[in-house]
Amino acid sequence: MKTPTARIAPLHLSRTLHSSFHANLRVPRASVVSKWLRSRNLTTAPALAQEAVPLRKHLKDEAKRKKAEAKINGVAKKLKTDPRLEKWELAVGIEIHAELNTECKLFSSGPTEGSDGVANSRVAFFDAALPGTQPQFQVATLLPALRAAIALGCEVQRKSGWDRKHYFHWDQPNGYQITQYYEPFAKNGTLTLSASDGVPTSDLNGADSIGIGIKQIQMEQDTAKTTHHPPSTYHIDLNRAGHPLIEVITLPHIHSPQTAAAVVRKIQAILRSVDACVTGMELGGLRADVNVSIRERGTEGTGSSYSGVSGLGQRTEIKNLSSFKAVEDAIVAERDRQIAVLEAEGVIEGETRGWTLGATETTRLRGKEGEVDYRYMPDADLPPLVVGSDLVDHLRVTMPELPDETVDRVERQYGVTLKDAKTMVDLDDGDRLEFLEETVELVLRRSGDQATDQLRVGKLVGNWILHELGGLLATTETSWATMTITPVEVADVLVNLQNKQITARVAKQLLSTLNDTSTSPRPSVDHLIDEGNLRLRPLSDEGYEVLAMQIMDESPDMVAAVREKGQKGKIMWFVGQMVRRGEEGTVEPENAREVLERLLSD
Amino acid sequence: MQRYSVLLRAFAAQTSSPVQQASGYRRAFATGARLGDEVQRDSDGHIDVEKLLSEPAWSVGSLIPAEGQQTESPAISSRQLHHLLRLSALPLPKDAQEEAMMLKTLSSQLHFVKDIQQVDTTGVEPLRSLRDETAEGEKEAELGMAAMKGALEQEDVRGKYHRRIRRRRRSGGMEEKAQEGEHWDPLSTAGKKVGRFFVVEGGKDG
Repeated sequence: MKTPTARIAPLHLSRTLHSSFHANLRVPRASVVSKWLRSRNLTTAPALAQEAVPLRKHLKDEAKRKKAEAKINGVAKKLKTDPRLEKWELAVGIEIHAELNTECKLFSSGPTEGSDGVANSRVAFFDAALPGTQPQFQVATLLPALRAAIALGCEVQRKSGWDRKHYFHWDQPNGYQITQYYEPFAKNGTLTLSASDGVPTSDLNGADSIGIGIKQIQMEQDTAKTTHHPPSTYHIDLNRAGHPLIEVITLPHIHSPQTAAAVVRKIQAILRSVDACVTGMELGGLRADVNVSIRERGTEGTGSSYSGVSGLGQRTEIKNLSSFKAVEDAIVAERDRQIAVLEAEGVIEGETRGWTLGATETTRLRGKEGEVDYRYMPDADLPPLVVGSDLVDHLRVTMPELPDETVDRVERQYGVTLKDAKTMVDLDDGDRLEFLEETVELVLRRSGDQATDQLRVGKLVGNWILHELGGLLATTETSWATMTITPVEVADVLVNLQNKQITARVAKQLLSTLNDTSTSPRPSVDHLIDEGNLRLRPLSDEGYEVLAMQIMDESPDMVAAVREKGQKGKIMWFVGQMVRRGEEGTVEPENAREVLERLLSD
Repeated sequence: MQRYSVLLRAFAAQTSSPVQQASGYRRAFATGARLGDEVQRDSDGHIDVEKLLSEPAWSVGSLIPAEGQQTESPAISSRQLHHLLRLSALPLPKDAQEEAMMLKTLSSQLHFVKDIQQVDTTGVEPLRSLRDETAEGEKEAELGMAAMKGALEQEDVRGKYHRRIRRRRRSGGMEEKAQEGEHWDPLSTAGKKVGRFFVVEGGKDG
């Protein structure tokens, strides 16, 4: 049993009189009365002055305490891993496989969508590898591929080839995959990332942004989908066999797990914005493989090099990561494993490893196959791919805005914060941003001859569309696509609000009413305001004072709290009460607050 | 035709290579007169065709190592043989006798391959298939605006202020496919199936 720190516990602490298995505290022999009191968990000591702590305050204090603890622990944790990272440097290269947004498969006219998800219903003769069938390049698949290459800053090669990668597997009916091993169609691109994309400051090295080199982009076929039925049966669905993929290979310019996740996120966003790859990671439309190696800082590792980047250590590959978090966690686990092996004087083997969600370490899948085992060979059935420069120029000129440009423009033109701008651009496939822009123009037009500042209007509209409308959609469980409110209506409401014809509370109400109304016939906003008698009839100063005095009389302790204890926050409670009590559309919070402050400071 | 004569000349040039003397390994084509030179011509420059064709100048038997001849290539291990068989999805040998026969066959095949590899192909692009490699042929095969017109028409521009390109999606599934003429049931080719899926047994022997 533990030796107690105090032999005699002070009597006024009631807690010490409770028996606990740790305590071996000696207390002076107690009298019968006090023993009896003890047995009933009562003490003879005066009760501690316990103030009733309000719940909000209690929760706030708890949150503050947890934050302080986390800060202390966080600092301690950082100190723990820092020494290892000071000695070892990480290098990561990523290979992303993304499904192209096309109508047909890559080498056959089998459709990529439709048929309601019935298995084995979108299979052409070549996809099923019937003997004698030949591949036929579907030219429409070139459009999203070229857009992806241009968006990632690559040089499109005029001539590229198709090669066979041979291996036998039940998800590969032909016995080989048609890919572009020797001559990919795009090379030498760059991806720019900054701190707002999630790159840690240690990677930025004082610069605003870093550039990750993209070695090449190639087109290839996807395999069929297999489902495992234990113990050893597999069910094959050939719908996905032959679907066009692009493989984006980056150079090992990535030096931290957070940057790696940021790279994958950024590439997904860019591909989605140019309509090249629209199914995300969570739906299985984008998969990432990472190559991880470490080296001691200041050394050349094992002297390995990859495509012009030299001085790297031996790399291992982690396959089939299917979420951003998995990418980050897997890299951290693999880096820690490699550090442990090298610090124990071991040697890293070049192998292929796997990662499952919630695991702490990667698992070995197989040894690294030599590339000669795939027997890459040019496909004799397919002519080389020749891309015209007029097409590339046309696509470059008509390229839609990339996410970075859009966020920048929204910030600049509409005064929206960076965080809000990023959210807006991602929402609803860009439709919400479209709504914002239309509404802002309408508001500016209807504001008449008053000199209106686009930034101020933009900020107001942005706030309402993102937060208020968003909140309304969430509470009524409507989706954006089924929402019936039009930009004209929102513009009307906000113009009225701007001109102080209605209060913000009334505006919210109007939006809610409009959302509930069916599509036709739709009453105009002005009609609704007049009908509901919602127009602001501003209260006179006298009226404010009368109302304020009324409320102050009803709750003297709150008045005392503000006057004597100086709790200024309570004034807002008064404002709230005034708004609630006053007639709809008469009390303005700003004026109410002014009046209250005047009255309460007497 | 040009390529063929280059090959022949290359073969011919090999007959007096130092490799031949050093190891005692006989070049495949060193059986008779070297092709390309020493063809007998009379004073007018004519060739006696009957005489030329009366004796074979080359036999395919020269591609196979003679009995008891030492080959230069290192022996193939049993492990390598098994690896190659696995890569080719061929069954492993039943017993040691079959394995020995496989190794012997493979070794003589490699002898032939080595002969082919002796040919000097510097500056010669591999022929992938017979296609029109002229400038006109390439222009015809080029995918430019004209070729992509149909695909570009399948896209819409969405939005007036925030313009985005979106591919128009087809809603029909089964009916559209029937129109394309590829209306068939893939599962009719299945050896084993369950519902709408092909079934594969993935055990160690399968």
